[in-house]
Amino acid sequence: MVETLAAVEIRDLVKDFKTSFRRKPLRAVDGVSIRIMPGEVYGLIGPNGSGKSTTMKALLGLVAPTSGQCSIFGKDSLKVDSRNDVGFLPENPYFYKHLSGVETLRFYGKLCGLGGRKLADRVGELLALVDLEGARDRRIGGYSKGMLQRIGLAQALIQEPRLVILDEPTAGVDPLGSRQIRDLILKLRERGITVFLCSHLLEQVQEVCDHVGIIFQGRMIREGRLDDLIAIEDQMEIVLRNASPELISKIAALVKDAPDAELVRTGKPRTTLERLFLREIRDEER
Amino acid sequence: MKLWKKSVVLSIALLALGVARMPYEAGLTRELRDARLLPSALDIGTVEKIGQTSAAVAFGGLRTLIATFLNLRAFTYFTEKRWDDVADTYDTIVDLAPHTRYYWDSGYWHIAYNAASYYMYDSTLAPVRRKEAWRTSILKGRSFLERGIRNNPDDWVLHADLGYLLSDPNKFPAFKDQRETFSAAADAYQKSAETGKALGYVRRFRFYALARVEGREAQALALARELYAEGTKNRTPTFLSLLLVLEAHENPSMDTTARAIELFGTPQKAYSALSGHWQRINERFPIFGIAEAMATLENRLSIPEKDRVLNQPLPAPRNLEKSFNE
Amino acid sequence: MSTATHIPQKGSHTGRILIIATHAFTQLVRMKVFYFLAIFAIITIASNFFNLPQHEGPESVGTNVLSQIKGWSFGTMHIFSVVLSIVATALLLPKDVEDRTLYTILAKPVPRFDYLAGKLLGVMLLIFISLALMDGLMTLVLQIRTSMVAKEQMEMATTLGWPQREIDALRAETFSNGPSWSMQGAVIAVFLRASIMASLALLISTFSTSTLFTTIVSFMVYFIGHFQADARDVYLHGGQAGEGMIAKVTSLLFALVLPDFQIFNVIDAVIQGETMPIIALGKLTLVALYYAMFFTIASWFIFSDKEF
Repeated sequence: MVETLAAVEIRDLVKDFKTSFRRKPLRAVDGVSIRIMPGEVYGLIGPNGSGKSTTMKALLGLVAPTSGQCSIFGKDSLKVDSRNDVGFLPENPYFYKHLSGVETLRFYGKLCGLGGRKLADRVGELLALVDLEGARDRRIGGYSKGMLQRIGLAQALIQEPRLVILDEPTAGVDPLGSRQIRDLILKLRERGITVFLCSHLLEQVQEVCDHVGIIFQGRMIREGRLDDLIAIEDQMEIVLRNASPELISKIAALVKDAPDAELVRTGKPRTTLERLFLREIRDEER
Repeated sequence: MKLWKKSVVLSIALLALGVARMPYEAGLTRELRDARLLPSALDIGTVEKIGQTSAAVAFGGLRTLIATFLNLRAFTYFTEKRWDDVADTYDTIVDLAPHTRYYWDSGYWHIAYNAASYYMYDSTLAPVRRKEAWRTSILKGRSFLERGIRNNPDDWVLHADLGYLLSDPNKFPAFKDQRETFSAAADAYQKSAETGKALGYVRRFRFYALARVEGREAQALALARELYAEGTKNRTPTFLSLLLVLEAHENPSMDTTARAIELFGTPQKAYSALSGHWQRINERFPIFGIAEAMATLENRLSIPEKDRVLNQPLPAPRNLEKSFNE
Repeated sequence: MSTATHIPQKGSHTGRILIIATHAFTQLVRMKVFYFLAIFAIITIASNFFNLPQHEGPESVGTNVLSQIKGWSFGTMHIFSVVLSIVATALLLPKDVEDRTLYTILAKPVPRFDYLAGKLLGVMLLIFISLALMDGLMTLVLQIRTSMVAKEQMEMATTLGWPQREIDALRAETFSNGPSWSMQGAVIAVFLRASIMASLALLISTFSTSTLFTTIVSFMVYFIGHFQADARDVYLHGGQAGEGMIAKVTSLLFALVLPDFQIFNVIDAVIQGETMPIIALGKLTLVALYYAMFFTIASWFIFSDKEF
């Protein structure tokens, strides 16, 4: 197999911040290594202040590593050209309030060297993608939190990057808005775009990511394929629809006959509160 | 690179480039001073220099702005007759805008004319004090104007202003040495003319001043002949009368009557002009040979005894001293 | 969209700088800075109505109004350009950091130098356009007023029977106080000084974290910069007054570190009717260019690996 170039390669990243003159520097990131292959959706999870944002900033060259290296598609993060292939949505982004949605996208597009017909098409396409066509000419100052997040995502995608980095993409957004963002991330995955996101909302990470890393106090404590990480190896789940009590007792009897197997529990699967909420308001809308 | 290391590098670069630019900037400053685009440090006195340094607080472009505001203020002081404030304000104004003629022109005028006349009739002062205040104010106006001239040696108006002040009959008692004052007035008019921008009257006025300086009559006569040769525009009655006087001074045996008729055209015109000259005693013009020519003309024109100007008493000289006592 | 070899076109430095500059410009314009132009118009027009009585002669009529129009207009231009160059520059950078818009820009393939140069150019563009508009209005008002003053003087001189040659001379002199090329040069000098201040404020704001700090330090440097030439004089020609070694070294440091703003006092001389030769303006431009370039490069030097 030919070795493909990793989309993100973070090797032994260490980042210290000076706190004050005399005290020891604060180690925000301590020996983190992450490797994300093209097409993966990688979620970095951890509590606030665990080093998620710092890791991302180092990857984008916004902070310089104390030691270790970061690269995007093989290009050193400290070099400008590494940013050709990446889009970034910071946590709680603000854009220039005096610009409209279209103007914002045009501005970022021009910064990436786009222009003319190509840029106009791209702007239209992205506004459709993030469902902001109705607000295209409104000033950003009047956007809601969710809209800001979506225009931010569109902005990150303007130059068709192969990698997008999302810092807490759903922080502060209502469930409906956060659903839209989640759907967008899934769309990106379908298009083969590599996504690197961080969040402290575990459930969301679980829904969209295929790889996760758990970071705590600057250290990576667990990393791997999501399914591998959360599977309970010696258990198996069977979900049935319209099963009669007789069928359940038959199954129970079968299990009892098997030598090592054990029926752990039966019952109705619970939906998540988030799913319930979304389903209910969708029903209301109909 | 650490920030402190960068700061060190930056400081070194700043100093090195400072060394590199110093000669250029020093040279440019000198050049701009020579072009009168920056206030020169040389042609003004030390006291003024101190004034200018503190005035440098008003930066480029703002100095003139502040000067215009102070000028409005000075005008208010003027209407309120607060003369000391007027003078102080103008001192600041000209520190800020030393090349604006208007400020020197109106400042000197307020001090030497308006303030001085005010003191002349200031009933709150004793007569002796009035004269002293009047005189001080005129001298202050003069030195203010002379300072303006030092700052603007090419300005014809300021030079002419000084000539005018020094040869103003109403100001004579303010200056101790009359001869020296007329001489200075003539020189001021000359400098005005030398700028090449002065109006035509300036050289004529120079002549009027020079004609009154004892000992410089020959120079005055030479100037008069030059002006005469330039055409009719200079040949006012005063000019022609003085020309005659100076010619008579140079050559006492000259036939002044014949020359007067030649200069003025007819005996009548000559008599009328010379009579006028004879009676202008306040201006202190010289009168060599005038009386002789007038007597001859009176006889020739058969003027009745009672109408003869020479027989009439001269008008009483304007008594400034009296003004102080009013 | 999945071709792994897709490389977006990158655009040129100049292109990016211009984009950031126009953006900074519109950003400032939408902060309503142009309201200042209305104030300027009022001041320039008001300066017409303070005509003080004159003492004598046609040559004095109305001359104070002409210098007043120039004095007020230039004073306003001066204040506007310096305040704007400092405050706007001090505002733009910290605002981008605070709003995190800086992250989104630097996460694009935008070299940090382009970002800085763009912001600076945006501020300078705003000042330039504002000054051009102010200059236009001032020139217009001054032109009209000069013609009025000249007409009044001509009438008075004709009544007094002045010879034509002298009337012409007076007319020429009056018009020398009207709009002139030197005056346009002085407006350029106002712009040059503002450009130095903007680049200086940019440098300070790369060090500092607050707008207030940048503003205060910039104004202090601006203020002290007007005495740089005096410090230089003390160093170069000192000694006569018996200054000690310490005074000499201090004045040298002063002279080396601070920019010389005193040379821009030529503006005052021009307002008073002096002629500024084009070569002098050229040399001032060189000085301004020198400072602006040094400060911009120094800003980039500090900003290049600054962390956010």
